[in-house]
Amino acid sequence: MGYGRSDSYRVATTQENKDVKEKPKAKGADLEELKKEVPLTEHKMSIEEVCQKHNTDIVQGLTNAKAAEFLIRDGPNALTPPPTTPEWVKFCRQLFGGFSVLLWIGAILCFLAYAIQAATEDEPAGDNLYLGIVLSAVVIITGCFSYFQEAKSSKIMESFKNMVPQQALVIREGEKLQINAEEVVAGDLVEVKGGDRIPADLRVVSAHGCKVDNSSLTGESEPQNRSPECTNDNPLETRNIAFFSTNCVEGTARGIVISTGDRTTMGRIATLASGLDTGKTPIAKEIEHFIHIITGVAVFLGISFFILSIVLGYSWLEAVIFLIGIIVANVPEGLLATVTVCLTLTAKRMAKKNCLVKNLEAVETLGSTSTICSDKTGTLTQNRMTVAHMWFDNQIHEADTTEDQSGASFDKSSETWVALARVAALCNRASFKANQESLPILKRDVAGDASESALLKCIELSCGGVKAMREKNKKVAEIPFNSTNKYQLSVHETEDENDNRYLLVMKGAPERILDRSTTIMVQGKEQPMDEELKEAFQNAYLELGGLGERVLGFCHALLPEDQFPKGFAFDCDDVNFPTENLCFLGLMSMIDPPRAAVPDAVGKCRSAGIKVIMVTGDHPITAKAIAKGVGIISEGNETVEDIAARLNIPVSQVNPRDAKACVIHGSDLKDLSQDQMDDLLKNHTEIVFARTSPQQKLIIVEGCQRLGAIVAVTGDGVNDSPALKKADIGVAMGISGSDVSKQAADMILLDDNFASIVTGVEEGRLIFDNLKKSIAYTLTSNIPEITPFLFFIIVNIPLPLGTITILCIDLGTDMVPAISLAYEIAESDIMKRQPRNPARDKLVNERLISIAYGQIGMIQALGGFFAYFVIMAENGFLPSRLVGIRLYWDDRSNNDLEDSYGQQWTYEQRKIVEFTCHTAFFVSIVVVQWADVIVCKTRRNSVFQQGMRNKILIFGLFEETALAAFLSYCPGMDVALRMYPLKPSWWFCAFPYSFLIFVYDEIRKLILRRHPGGWVEKETYY
Amino acid sequence: MSTKEDKPVEHKTTWKDSIYNPRTGEFIGRTASSWALIVGFYLVFYAFLTGFFTLTMWVMLQTLEDDVPKYRDRVPSPGLVIRPRSLDIIFNRTNPKQYGPYVRHLESLLQQYNDTIQEQNELCMVNEYTEQDDVAEKKVCQFKRSLLRQCSGLADATFGYAEGKPCILVKMNRIIGLRPRGEPYVNCTAKRDTPLQMSYFPTEAKFDKMYFPYYGKINHPKYVQPLVAVQLLLAKEDYNTEIAIECKVEGSDLKNDDDRDKFLGRITFRVTVTE
Repeated sequence: MGYGRSDSYRVATTQENKDVKEKPKAKGADLEELKKEVPLTEHKMSIEEVCQKHNTDIVQGLTNAKAAEFLIRDGPNALTPPPTTPEWVKFCRQLFGGFSVLLWIGAILCFLAYAIQAATEDEPAGDNLYLGIVLSAVVIITGCFSYFQEAKSSKIMESFKNMVPQQALVIREGEKLQINAEEVVAGDLVEVKGGDRIPADLRVVSAHGCKVDNSSLTGESEPQNRSPECTNDNPLETRNIAFFSTNCVEGTARGIVISTGDRTTMGRIATLASGLDTGKTPIAKEIEHFIHIITGVAVFLGISFFILSIVLGYSWLEAVIFLIGIIVANVPEGLLATVTVCLTLTAKRMAKKNCLVKNLEAVETLGSTSTICSDKTGTLTQNRMTVAHMWFDNQIHEADTTEDQSGASFDKSSETWVALARVAALCNRASFKANQESLPILKRDVAGDASESALLKCIELSCGGVKAMREKNKKVAEIPFNSTNKYQLSVHETEDENDNRYLLVMKGAPERILDRSTTIMVQGKEQPMDEELKEAFQNAYLELGGLGERVLGFCHALLPEDQFPKGFAFDCDDVNFPTENLCFLGLMSMIDPPRAAVPDAVGKCRSAGIKVIMVTGDHPITAKAIAKGVGIISEGNETVEDIAARLNIPVSQVNPRDAKACVIHGSDLKDLSQDQMDDLLKNHTEIVFARTSPQQKLIIVEGCQRLGAIVAVTGDGVNDSPALKKADIGVAMGISGSDVSKQAADMILLDDNFASIVTGVEEGRLIFDNLKKSIAYTLTSNIPEITPFLFFIIVNIPLPLGTITILCIDLGTDMVPAISLAYEIAESDIMKRQPRNPARDKLVNERLISIAYGQIGMIQALGGFFAYFVIMAENGFLPSRLVGIRLYWDDRSNNDLEDSYGQQWTYEQRKIVEFTCHTAFFVSIVVVQWADVIVCKTRRNSVFQQGMRNKILIFGLFEETALAAFLSYCPGMDVALRMYPLKPSWWFCAFPYSFLIFVYDEIRKLILRRHPGGWVEKETYY
Repeated sequence: MSTKEDKPVEHKTTWKDSIYNPRTGEFIGRTASSWALIVGFYLVFYAFLTGFFTLTMWVMLQTLEDDVPKYRDRVPSPGLVIRPRSLDIIFNRTNPKQYGPYVRHLESLLQQYNDTIQEQNELCMVNEYTEQDDVAEKKVCQFKRSLLRQCSGLADATFGYAEGKPCILVKMNRIIGLRPRGEPYVNCTAKRDTPLQMSYFPTEAKFDKMYFPYYGKINHPKYVQPLVAVQLLLAKEDYNTEIAIECKVEGSDLKNDDDRDKFLGRITFRVTVTE
């Protein structure tokens, strides 16, 4: 029988292996698969069956030969890293993405034009070759730049790749061996002890006080016992399975490896998560949209002027050269690099505020977020059980739960409190770990379970010297907590030397403790327990329980000396002392309190139009209490149950629309249809999901996304990673998070604090605004770059602005001011407005184009043309002479071209004037861009309201001016870039236009502010 | 739930709607009044810009003088050009159709140098600048076509082209206020090992100082540039080959060896005469 079964299991497992491999291909199947429970059966088998299945021996372990064979069959025990794009593909993507294609076309056309010239002319002008090389260099350099930026931010992840435990202790052929964890195979007999990482999925065969921390898998941070018995059908909850990459906290255990590497529970989830397709980030979509617009304009203008120039009788070669010029002028070459730099700057700023961004584009995603699905434990709360309330002397006292002990204190003078504190300190197995005296009490590490640690810290904080107290009151006997007794007791000597009585202290479930008490201490005096006090107890217990707190009762008794003289042998197995008729002292209740900054942060989210949904594995009552505590369920908002309770009617009679808030139990969630789910998410503004399995998180995320929300999800467990991956922005926890969750996330909160997300949102919104400004600034100079070409072709004037000078603007003078706009402070409270609607609020919209191209750009173009006409006229070519002169002007053999004054010019002489004009046009663009950058600082406010505090921007103004002067005056520039020194007066040509831009836009913004929602806003507010 | 109720009411949006949407009356995303407003705005805006531009241009033009350009530093030295206007003179000496255009070109250029016209101009002091800065009406120094002798086209209407001994006229670009120092003269050389016989008219091949300075189109409307004619005395063996000839202005401070500008005070052209 054994063989038959083992064979069938083998089949089952191999089948499963195949599934795993095929999963990444079919996304739908993936999700379905994931929602199923882990198909493990070993926990239900006897140890012998497990041994048989894996061909191993419970004492000797595997033979070395078998181990080697299995290693070849299954491969090393390591998680396959998520598939990464090869570096060269990433590089090529940078090299051929965005505007690069257009520029490549430009470069190829240049080389083509040069080739034609070289073939047909004796002395081909090198211009086109030169330009082709420059264009290629521009594409390659900006490509490299973006590539390295991206590589830099993805390097952050390198440190997290180390996911597998390094060493494992296995037993093979009866000998204990320390081997590399990667070499562990299924069937190996493994020993783990406290502090070890579990090397693979284990079926526990023997254990001694073994506790494991499964938090990386389930999110539950409390250590769980491990023993050989099967306690639950669910493999995740049974005690006899230990999971790969979880930690053994204490004790020792021995187990048989049942699966390794990607076949482990952890591995399956990691593989599934990496198979999820996530789609593009909102900002990537925006940039794509914007590239489409610009490319569309460039192609449209290029093609139409190509056709026009052919129609006008230009040669093919000339038409191609015009096409190149139009492409170069249309493409904002430096813009994508600017965007990358802006995002990097924000990412750095966010890293300082504890938000580590893995993917640059995720910087902005947080700003567009409209729903945050947050974990409770550790993110909203301190992840530390803390005594919140006490009930003694028939009164509820509030303990200080704040992180920095700034909260209110309670009256500590009561005798009852002293007694209660003593019981809490003595009947407590938790203790501080050594060498932590310098740390504040709350920061110290404690050995022991969460409740006892909470009590320990509470007593240490309020009374101090727990250690000394325990030394004075030596423990003589102890009955540890178990689930049948539901209490824990210990017997101590008293601290009074003369008193030889023993002190019995007990704590446990309040109702059990009450049952064992006949008296109660009030104001230090023992009183008989009467009905009135019992009712008071019941009320207090209900009230504290209703707060979602874990309540413990405390009692004590001094054992009579005559019956229990000094040296009495207390027997804990066969209890030989009284455990009833004790004196009840009081209640203490504990909760994992919210972090101090969280309520404020949740409030900010709410005013920023972001819906905060709590998703937790905790009890609904606790979840609701915390939700109310942090404002996820705001004051005055009721759930259906609350309304029912208030009106005293059954839940079914309450109109669900009346309840804004709701708390949904995981088991109810399971039964909801998709429509019901949508309905639920749409009609409740304040939602708490309690008792959810991490898999359900994925369903919640999908539900929100179906409704068009941009969803941020926080998570720390491995089981969260599919939800993190599916979310628009997954936020992993830096401290408590598992490596797999960090791998799947886009952002890591270094301090696990929800409030940090809010800072992230703020930064994300700011960068979106500032990117708009930066793009508006950069795009504006496109018009003065394109118009010279158009006039050159249409009215036959000498070219006012050359392609090289265009590149000098796009890649030189415009860069720093454009980047400096990323440092601009917010104009208004960006956390007071709704999140942007990705369908409507575009990064680049027609209003931005209208302002940049149609208005400011036109003024700039006129400024440039004015400078051009001034130089031409002052050198002898009046505007009237220029129109139509192009054919003679560009004729190399024409060396006596007459100007307006009768002078005659050689080709080279007039070209120098032309290039001087290019330089002046370039300088004029710099001058009008001064005004433009100041104007672009704000979208609504006046610059006088905003101020000029952006130091980088001021630096940018000086930098671009200095660069322009350098390009104009540096000796050798006439040869290198064909730029010539300008007479000082020519710098001032564009000043009136610069001033006009400033005045025009200030007036526009004034009208914008005066008439909100008016025509000016509708047409020009970008 | 609510979306299900809405759906039947909702019209199907097609691509046609993006051009004209009959329900909202939108044409390419705007209603008629919206179009009128935005077009009106841009009309007014651009009209204003045109006005502003015109104003600045007008102000700028006011600062200019009518007769002399503001800056002349971009033309410090004159270029040298030849007539006929071609850098590749190719013709068959027996075929008037081939050399005809060259001849007509020279003839038309020399019309203004006709002795009848030039006799109205004044005789000036040889080898001295004709300074007349303070004179309101600038006189013009006479340059008679007959000075060019065989290349004047008077005796030989084909300027030697029919004989295979073509005349080339060399002239220097007009530059206002230019006063060449020394005695500028034209020197042409064939770029080959054996020298080529040439004769110059006027014989010393000189641009006389009396033709300088030039006072500009407005002050000096009848001004004529001095010319130097070079007759290439091609021999039989010179036919059917391409001869590169370089002419330079020498004997003065005028530049003739600029790296970049191959026409500053010099010119290189090719002549091919076939039989």
